[in-house]
Amino acid sequence: MTWVLVAVLAVPAVGAVFRSRAVAAGAAAIAFLLSVALATGRSDGGLTGPIRPWHQLDVSWVPGLNLRFHLGVDGISYPLVVLTTLLTLLCCVYLLWTDGDGTLAALLLVIEVGIVGVFLALDLVLFFVFFEIVLLPMYAVIAGWGGAGRRPAARKFVLYTLFGSVLLLVGVFVVVSRAGTADLVVLSAQHMLPADTQLAAFILLSIAFAVKSPLWPLHTWLPDAHTEAPTVGSVILAGVLLKMGTYGLLRVAVGVLPDGARRVAPVLGVLAVTAILVGGLVCLAQTELKRLIAYSSVGHMGFVLLGIATLTATGFEAALIGNVAHGIITGLLFFLAGAIKDRTHTGDLSELGGLRETAPYLSGILGYAAIASLGLPGLAGFWGEAFAVIAALRRGGPLWTVLAVLAALGGALAAAYFLRLLYRVTHGAARPAVVGIGEPVPGELVAWAPLVVLALAVGLVPALVLGVAQTAVQVMAP
Amino acid sequence: MILTQEALKLPQINYVALSPMLILFGAATVGVLVEAFAGRGRRYPVQLGLSLVSLVAALVMVVRVAHTRELTAGGAVAVDGPALFLEGTLAVLGIVALLLVAERSLEPGGPFVAVAAVTAGTEADRVQAQRRDAGTEVYPLLLFALGGMMLFVSANDLLTMFVALEVFSLPLYLMCGLARRRRLLSQEAALKYFLLGAFASAFFLFGIAMIYGYAGQINFAAIHEAIQSSTNDRILLYLGLALLAIGLLFKAAAVPFHVWTPDVYQGAPTPVTAFMAACTKVAAFGALLRVIYVAFERTAWDLRLVIGGIAVLTMVVGSVLAVTQTDIKRLLAYSSIANAGYLLVGVLAVGGNGNHDGLASSMFYLVAYGFSVVAAFGVVTLVRDADGEATHLSRWAGLGRRSPLYAGLFTFLLLAFAGIPLTSGFTSKFAVFGAALASGQAWLVVLGAITSVILAFPYLRVVVLVWLSEPGENTPTVSIPGALTSAALAIGALATLLLGIAPQPLLDLSSRAAEFVR
Amino acid sequence: MRSTGMRLIVGTLRCMRGYLGSYATLGLLLVVGAAALTGAFGVNRLLRPGRPGDPAGKFANYECGLDPVGGDWAQVQIRYYLYAYLYVLFAVESVFLFPWAVVFALPGFGRTAVVEMGIFVGVLALGLLYAWRKRVLRWT
Repeated sequence: MTWVLVAVLAVPAVGAVFRSRAVAAGAAAIAFLLSVALATGRSDGGLTGPIRPWHQLDVSWVPGLNLRFHLGVDGISYPLVVLTTLLTLLCCVYLLWTDGDGTLAALLLVIEVGIVGVFLALDLVLFFVFFEIVLLPMYAVIAGWGGAGRRPAARKFVLYTLFGSVLLLVGVFVVVSRAGTADLVVLSAQHMLPADTQLAAFILLSIAFAVKSPLWPLHTWLPDAHTEAPTVGSVILAGVLLKMGTYGLLRVAVGVLPDGARRVAPVLGVLAVTAILVGGLVCLAQTELKRLIAYSSVGHMGFVLLGIATLTATGFEAALIGNVAHGIITGLLFFLAGAIKDRTHTGDLSELGGLRETAPYLSGILGYAAIASLGLPGLAGFWGEAFAVIAALRRGGPLWTVLAVLAALGGALAAAYFLRLLYRVTHGAARPAVVGIGEPVPGELVAWAPLVVLALAVGLVPALVLGVAQTAVQVMAP
Repeated sequence: MILTQEALKLPQINYVALSPMLILFGAATVGVLVEAFAGRGRRYPVQLGLSLVSLVAALVMVVRVAHTRELTAGGAVAVDGPALFLEGTLAVLGIVALLLVAERSLEPGGPFVAVAAVTAGTEADRVQAQRRDAGTEVYPLLLFALGGMMLFVSANDLLTMFVALEVFSLPLYLMCGLARRRRLLSQEAALKYFLLGAFASAFFLFGIAMIYGYAGQINFAAIHEAIQSSTNDRILLYLGLALLAIGLLFKAAAVPFHVWTPDVYQGAPTPVTAFMAACTKVAAFGALLRVIYVAFERTAWDLRLVIGGIAVLTMVVGSVLAVTQTDIKRLLAYSSIANAGYLLVGVLAVGGNGNHDGLASSMFYLVAYGFSVVAAFGVVTLVRDADGEATHLSRWAGLGRRSPLYAGLFTFLLLAFAGIPLTSGFTSKFAVFGAALASGQAWLVVLGAITSVILAFPYLRVVVLVWLSEPGENTPTVSIPGALTSAALAIGALATLLLGIAPQPLLDLSSRAAEFVR
Repeated sequence: MRSTGMRLIVGTLRCMRGYLGSYATLGLLLVVGAAALTGAFGVNRLLRPGRPGDPAGKFANYECGLDPVGGDWAQVQIRYYLYAYLYVLFAVESVFLFPWAVVFALPGFGRTAVVEMGIFVGVLALGLLYAWRKRVLRWT
């Protein structure tokens, strides 16, 4: 099965060369099928450490730089890999049906290579290499195909991300030069770094990942980037790109530097809850559709980070399922927001309204996605938020109890702003902007349907995600 | 002093080990004869052939003597790992730069002036700009410069080093003034470079005098001994070392000795700029490494703070000023300054208790940067309008639409400068910073990483300008390069890619070579 | 005040004993020279009578003997420069012939020394040859 690991990366990379929508869709489909196939033949290979990849490939690349081509997939990375390949496939299909651009599709494939590489990498330097690969194509997507204010938004995105990369690079340097190896399996199994080094490296790495996640107060690039990016760009950005941050925090920062994590965890928890509350409050005041969804991402990612900050198995599970659910639901929301903006040429909530009257199906799907996002039990968004709160409560102590209560309040805020969104957009009399707009076309429906189904499926059967991840999470929790 | 027979012995000279530079000096001398006796029409093919053959021969000889580790010519020249590695680097980069220098299909007669003595801006100057032939003195000058650089990186005493410095500097001053177009700018560059370079040489010479006063010797090994045993005033030592360092850092274009760089890079003919950016850097850092770690290793600890400070200044000033540039050649000049800063970080990494990673990674960096920068200036020679090269950044807007191939190539090279993974820029920076961190230079690494982010901005700006802007009316065309420029671009880009994907062979080579003899 | 002066003098003396002593003497000489110059001019200024006015010829180029003819900006033939350059080249390099002549007779040096000096002079001659072919030596 090790060839599949390489193929998942190679197929989109080759597909990107052709710069054609059809080839891109084909390559994305093959990559998706290959990534699903990674789950076959699972075994922990007799490994005993905290990372027990089902399949792995370990080839020396540049020994002089401690760089090995070490890929592997386990229960924590598998759901995210599949989510990435799925969303890329849906975006390519969407581009195929609408009049998209071949170069844009190719860039999406390059981004896919980078993100899947980040999830598969079991070598710290390789992880960084893939982490960097994502940056430029994403910048090009925003700067090349975005809205009116795309240049400043893209610049802001690059500024923040490069800043994060620097910290990540320095953190990687510190870990690799002190430990003498960059192998994540070895690094997470034997915590060979002294406590002070761990603390320093953890702070560096967690800031780097917090920029990507994004964690309040480093989130300000996100609303601009989301608002200006083209639909597929927003979907990839929210759906999977943010997950690189949370995944990195879980696998690299917490996994390799548990002592550092223990000392910083309360700070992370406080920041995460602040993000939930700030995200919710800002959302209540938003007047732009995509901006609102973007800020809701800040809140949702706050739950994920809270889960990680508890440093418990429950918290990690919450983070994992929260990641996947957010990818599915926010991906869908951005698809819908893009569809509405394409039709009405405005994202202003005050100019929308009465969508239910003119496009009942579209508004129905929007309502479904919004309700899923606010965390209604039975839909995917619920589990991540509930588990995160529970994990914080179980952690005990006054601080974590307060954080849990505040996070739960933040969850209620989500209900408030999403209902406000629905009220403004779907209900009421039809505004001029929404008059005469069309219902979803088949291409859009094909792109959305899997997400609609998955939001329900993961909500009803969370074991879909947690089942594969259980062992990996259990062995990882300190 | 009375000369006795014992005191004076004929030094043993290992001619084979010295053959790379001897070949170049010999070929350059023959080149002068060709200039004097061959007919005007026949000079170009003869000179080009001669230069290429001699450079290849020099490279072959470097490979043949690759395992030599000895002092020769009475201890004046060291033929050791770093010297041979850098000599090979100089030969290869020299060949690539020569290909750019020799290109004649981009404009009639090539980028060099036909009659250098013509007053700029006169009627005669306009006539010479239209001539279809050009002077061929640049070939012997190039060979002299390369030979001097090879001697510079292998010199084992201060006087030999000074002679080598002059031997490679003087041809460079001349070559800067040979541009066919924009002659005033070119001559200004040459004069500026000459004046400042002469000052730097004088500092260097004064430094030698000081060191001689302290140690009583100019040989590196003897200086190394003297630092431990001499009872002379150490002020002399530090003063001498500082003056020496000024001379060397001037050539390396480190802040605050960098002011000549943007003007000279901009004014010189672009192929010469490419040659300077790649090869002068190799020579300057090769010599700096040798001086510091062969002669002054025992004072390296005292130097650390000063050179660290210069490294920080160089990185910060180079990267910050690069952001404000509007001319592509000046932008690349400031980027080369910043790269000098990264190389200084590598220089400092050598000191860490027997850590040869620093030396190896610095040498790797020199190779990687050299290839990228030659190719980048090669692309600059292609973007031209009726008036010659169009170097103002605003003229580059929308170039990606006009000629995606060369815009793509340039983008790739800029990404390499920015240190994006899978390019040589990433591996070389990673190697240098890794070595620096291992020898305890964490603060330099942090600053290096931050400045490389700042430096990424001008590159990104160019990339955006080239790809995402609409081509204006005065966006110039990209000329179809001749075989020579194509070959240079292909070699440079391929090396940038290969050293990014599979750098291990060269890393191994440099790490095997990373041992000075004393 | 006095102690500072004493310290300065003692420090200077200490410096003069060290390796840099000869430089200190030189520096002292420079200081004395500068002081003498400024002192002389200052005394001159104090003692001389002030005679404003503009007598005829005061600002002419020469105040003695002949009247100046023509402008003060004269061009010199560039050929002088080239000739002088070539001459200086050989004049300076001939310095190396003297030590060579001393060691030439020592055992083991003879033939090698001749060949090496031959190469040295040959390279110089090459420059002359180049100049000749480039018609630098032709006066008109």
